[in-house]
Amino acid sequence: MIETNLGRKIVVVVLVVAAVVAGAYLVRRWIERAGERPRPVQIVSEETRSVTLYFANREADGFEAETREIPVREGLESEVEAVMAALIEGPRGRDGISAIPPGTALLQVFWSEETQTLYLNFNRTIVSAHPGGSAGEYYTLGTIIRTIGANFPQARNLQLLVDGHQVETLAGHYAIDRPIEIMKWR
Amino acid sequence: MAAASAAAWLAESAGAEAARAGADPERVNPSATLGVIYADERPTENVPLYRLEPQSDELFVSAFDLARIFRATRYWNPSARKLSLRIENRSYLFTIDTRVVVVDDAPVLLRVPARFANGSLMVPLEFVSDVLPESAFGRVELDERRLVLTIGSPRYNITALAFEEVDGDSRAVLELAEELLYHVDAETPGLLRLKIYGGRLNTLLVNATPGAGLFNRVRAEQTEHDAYLFFDVRRSAERFRVEFLGAGEGPDARRRLVIHLERGELPEIPEVEFAGRRMTEILDEARRVRRGEIVKVAIDPGHGGIDKGKVGPSGLLEKDVNLDLALMLGELLAGEYGMEVMLTRTRDELVPLTRRAEIANEWGADVFISIHCNGWYHADAGGFETFFLSPAQSEEDKRLAMEENASLRFEGIASDDLDDLGFILWDMAQNEFISESSRLAELIQRELAQVLEIRNRGVKQAGMIVLKGCRMPAVLVETAFLSNPAEERLLASGEFRAGVVRGIAEAVDRYRGRIARVQPRGKE
Repeated sequence: MIETNLGRKIVVVVLVVAAVVAGAYLVRRWIERAGERPRPVQIVSEETRSVTLYFANREADGFEAETREIPVREGLESEVEAVMAALIEGPRGRDGISAIPPGTALLQVFWSEETQTLYLNFNRTIVSAHPGGSAGEYYTLGTIIRTIGANFPQARNLQLLVDGHQVETLAGHYAIDRPIEIMKWR
Repeated sequence: MAAASAAAWLAESAGAEAARAGADPERVNPSATLGVIYADERPTENVPLYRLEPQSDELFVSAFDLARIFRATRYWNPSARKLSLRIENRSYLFTIDTRVVVVDDAPVLLRVPARFANGSLMVPLEFVSDVLPESAFGRVELDERRLVLTIGSPRYNITALAFEEVDGDSRAVLELAEELLYHVDAETPGLLRLKIYGGRLNTLLVNATPGAGLFNRVRAEQTEHDAYLFFDVRRSAERFRVEFLGAGEGPDARRRLVIHLERGELPEIPEVEFAGRRMTEILDEARRVRRGEIVKVAIDPGHGGIDKGKVGPSGLLEKDVNLDLALMLGELLAGEYGMEVMLTRTRDELVPLTRRAEIANEWGADVFISIHCNGWYHADAGGFETFFLSPAQSEEDKRLAMEENASLRFEGIASDDLDDLGFILWDMAQNEFISESSRLAELIQRELAQVLEIRNRGVKQAGMIVLKGCRMPAVLVETAFLSNPAEERLLASGEFRAGVVRGIAEAVDRYRGRIARVQPRGKE
């Protein structure tokens, strides 16, 4: 009985030692690999900022907020680009869904200090790939406007452009031909 | 719905419409057509022109068409009966039944007054030919004989004209983009005629160039192939000489055609009088028509033509569902409820969003109902909802409205009155009907809830563009979600469609009853 217990103990000890050695090897390889790929290391060293992104819920009757850490960039335009890139990428949680048509890209951001208006110039896809329906259109606009409003309080107005042009609507319902007052939009 | 009965109803509706057009004193039929050619990507279009003056051949164009053509913003002051068009950075202020148009701060007198007809301010064409080109310089050309309006600059190769006088030598200097052949003759006394072969010029720009020295003025004409310049010269001009100067190569090259005039005797020619004076016309009393009973219903089937709207998972098109629902609703309201009905489109065509409200305004609709199907990224969303307009007025709109009020002050209206003379953006005409629109939306939502077994998403307020210009209570009904397979099947079924139109018709009927009790028939 004692002998058997001792035998078991030896087996356990051997197994633990083997696991530790193997683990150490794996950790070392991982560290080596991480050293080969400089990108993740740099992100860790960069200063980040916590931002709030707004997505829609599945039933199209409300917003789902998600927070993200994004690298701090220099200048308002670059910051907006980073936040919008995260919004376009889509939600990570289960409840939210993206209301921005797939393939949409933000081409330029322009900030007018004088009129406190932020111009977002999207590619044509935001119109051509839009699935239609007023709910779909409402949340395309709503997720963009809310996200900008939550993270850039200095922007009072938002003007959406498509391929550099003002358009009447994205899908035939909501007027976006003039600057939108961010805080008053509903 | 049986196609035959729909066709019969439409034919009947069209007949009744024609009869009404004859009987309605405010309804004016177009008497000519203006062809509009754009230099930008917009397609050429035809715009109706109206004769509104019994003693004059003057043609009028509606402010609605004008605003679209020139991408103008319209501001409307119903109580002062004034409309302001903002084209690029200039404002043009019209008052109904008044000949004066105030350009920024300067009044200009037109030959005939602006009028009101077909639910719109009507602007004399003279404004387009004479006032606008002076302001939006070199951008607008109206051929009054052929009734063709050209917007934007075609590629001119005669790019500029200037007159100068140096040491008694009067010169007309034309800048050319390329080397061109020309011919000059002086056969008519006092007139120098220059023909430039293959020349293309902006006649308005040339005609607006003030003369100098021996050149009194110039008039340009553009024919299909060549350009002509007619120089009105002083009698004292004795000899002329033309030289072509070319310098440089490639795109930087300068090419000029210079006409020299040599002086003899010098008689004076009086200056032309400026045709502008201060506005003195008395403004009419505000005229707001209130009707006692709701009888005219404008129904707007959403989307159409190349704008398919939402496409359901099995391929059902929103534009088709909307049109069929609108036709059914029209038939029901006209037949069972005895109302007059007009559709903003009766077939599969694209009607611009702002045009839809204008159609209802011109017709004098009592209510406006836009019919749509909803769409979402996910199959889960479902239900019906009714919208009325959220009257969001931006800072920019407010600032512009303030400026228009400043123009009123210029006209000598007592400053105390100004508070009551608030301009509203024409596209926000719906603002004064917001509370009525919300009541109509509530009634529709309530009645639909009685007949439909899908989710009630409630009444919502949003910046729906189609409702903005409506000068009557206006709502937009989202009947069900085409993106939801179960609701797509419902939207394809006659039973569900019948329920939708019954619900809306009942709501309009209740709304009519409510209004009729508050304001007895015939009361203004």
